[in-house]
Amino acid sequence: MSVLTLNNVSYKYEGTKKNVLAGISAEFEMGKVYAIVGKSGSGKSTLLSLMAGLDVCVNGEIMYNGKDLKKIDRDIYRAKGIGVIFQAFNLITNATAVENIVLSMNISGVNDKNKKSYAYALLEKVGIDCETAERKVLKLSGGEQQRVGIARALSHNPDIVIADEPTGNLDKDTEADVLGILTSLAHDDGKCVIIVTHSRKVTSIADEIWGINDGKMIPVKQQ
Amino acid sequence: MYIFQNALKNVVRNKGRNILIGIIIFAIITTTVITLGINNTANGIIDDYKTRFGSEVTITPDMQKIMKSGTSLTPRITIEQRKEFSQSKYIKEYKLTANAGISGENIKAVDEATGGGSGTTGMVGDKSEFINPTMQLIGNQFDDFQKGIREITDGKMPENDNECIVSKELAELNNLSVGDVIDVTASLFTDDIDVRNVIYTLTITGIYFDGTEEYGMFANPYLNRRNEVLTTFETITNVVQTDENGITVGSRYFLKDPDMLAAFTTELKAKGLNDIFKVTTDENSYNRVVGPVEGLRSVSITFMIIVLILGSIILILLTSIAIRERKYEIGVLRAMGMKKIKVALGLWVEMLTITAICLVIGIGIGSIIAQPVSNVLLEGQIENAQSDIEGGNVPGFVDMSSIGTSDEPISKLDISLGLHTTLQIIGISLMLATIAGLAAIIKITKYEPIKILMERN
Ligand SMILES: Nc1ncnc2c1ncn2[C@@H]1O[C@H](COP(=O)(O)OP(=O)(O)O)[C@@H](O)[C@H]1O
Ligand SMILES: [Mg+2]
Repeated sequence: MSVLTLNNVSYKYEGTKKNVLAGISAEFEMGKVYAIVGKSGSGKSTLLSLMAGLDVCVNGEIMYNGKDLKKIDRDIYRAKGIGVIFQAFNLITNATAVENIVLSMNISGVNDKNKKSYAYALLEKVGIDCETAERKVLKLSGGEQQRVGIARALSHNPDIVIADEPTGNLDKDTEADVLGILTSLAHDDGKCVIIVTHSRKVTSIADEIWGINDGKMIPVKQQ
Repeated sequence: MYIFQNALKNVVRNKGRNILIGIIIFAIITTTVITLGINNTANGIIDDYKTRFGSEVTITPDMQKIMKSGTSLTPRITIEQRKEFSQSKYIKEYKLTANAGISGENIKAVDEATGGGSGTTGMVGDKSEFINPTMQLIGNQFDDFQKGIREITDGKMPENDNECIVSKELAELNNLSVGDVIDVTASLFTDDIDVRNVIYTLTITGIYFDGTEEYGMFANPYLNRRNEVLTTFETITNVVQTDENGITVGSRYFLKDPDMLAAFTTELKAKGLNDIFKVTTDENSYNRVVGPVEGLRSVSITFMIIVLILGSIILILLTSIAIRERKYEIGVLRAMGMKKIKVALGLWVEMLTITAICLVIGIGIGSIIAQPVSNVLLEGQIENAQSDIEGGNVPGFVDMSSIGTSDEPISKLDISLGLHTTLQIIGISLMLATIAGLAAIIKITKYEPIKILMERN
């Protein structure tokens, strides 16, 4: 059973004529790693935004556990159902790394007595030590911010984790670490992991690969 | 709960911007503290003075009008009119008094031998002649009893028509006691000097001890206060015809509010008060005493309104700019699934926190400088008022009503922030926080910050 279903999804930005996405259909299941590839400007981030519930598609539908995102409370969906690793990180820059994680857990209503120590542990897992965790995001490098973004996406234990170029700012070693975490998330914890990427390394670990071109999405590799 | 925590953290995180907003709010609150403090204190004083001054109405012939009209006769205000005037709805209190020179028919006056009339009524043909008054019949003037200078020693005060009280001296001289009846005569006359002598038959209900000064300058029975026979207003005036003179009638009216003077005047004219009369309150001394405070009050109110309006505009602008800077941050919160209402609540709490801090400092500093500010402003007002008075009088005319009053202008207001004022200030602060918060919230809804994140991709 697919956790996220795209059904003939079309989208165009307000005030533009061209359909960035023109009738995309796909199914994403729990326990798998998906890679979406495509040229720059082909609409990958746009598709991710729709899957993340930031906006709704113009035509077609996106279903989460069989329910149309247009019809459910997308605030709750974003808070609990999905974790997003943005290409531009989108962290609260004047708060510390650990504050970002705790805030996300609070918004999602995570019921943990000690959110702070959970946040430190999570950051540790993506390679952020305690000292770095207490620095303001503004004062972190791109790679560090990327990792904080990853930790935040995982902080509320969502069904789906989507990532937009998550390894773009990382060196080879950390890329391997992060990919390890993401594959383990799918294969060990049974989550649905969707990664937009240019990286060969990412595609090599993906269970399925989709390609976007000209507003259409086609399967490149399927099991 | 985390919303409050996050809001508090945000106050600290955005120190620079919040200090700027805080300075504006602080300035607004401090001026509000000062101006409201001045205003409310001034209000209290003005209300107090309004009830004391300016509410007694004086009805006097306008000398200028009389000179212009050339008549020597002053039109009269009849007793009926005076009674009617007192029934106005603008009147809080009134007092009608009457006074008549009398001579005794069956009693002698104290000091009668010293001078004055014989006490007998002269008659020439069927025309009466003026009596020679040796005593006074006084209606409705018992002030000395309130002051404690006079005191009833036997019997009681006159309550009904044709009752009176007499002094101990007069009673002893004539062997009078409570229950005795005396006859006294007064002369009434028309404008054509048609004299009519009336005899008042009065029952003594009481005898009073008289502690007043016996005489003025001369020992004279008429002026001797022991010869005052006190009775009611009606007793004296009931027998008087509309066109008759000879009784001095006085009326004092106290308005509920000095501002009702114009309406009361209109009513009096409608009730037949001759146009020659002018109706005034003791405005001059009221203005001299309270004028500067009123000036201070209006200056402070005007200033407060300007500061509130300007301040609110600046505050709205500042928060709008602040929100534009923060739309990305808010977009992030929304992307993480925070509900709009919670985002708004957070922003409002931030504003409330800043305002609360400013409120504490503002009330502290405001209440310290309110006093000196008030002193300086009031001094300016007093100087203004004095130069107005000096420059404003028509040369050659001295306003009699301002002579002899030694009312100094109020030169110091003791500013204190009562509970009422403090609550008002807190209310205004709450309003400021809400205005600022609302400006922020409206801006957010307009920006749809969640889409901004998409644009950043
Ligand atoms: N906010 C926007 N308004 C209008 N057009 C946009 C906006 N964001 C992206 N686009 C356009 O949509 C297309 C897809 O963009 P995007 O999804 O960011 O591509 P990718 O992530 O694959 O590089 C591009 O042609 C881009 O110019
Ligand atoms: Mg992109």
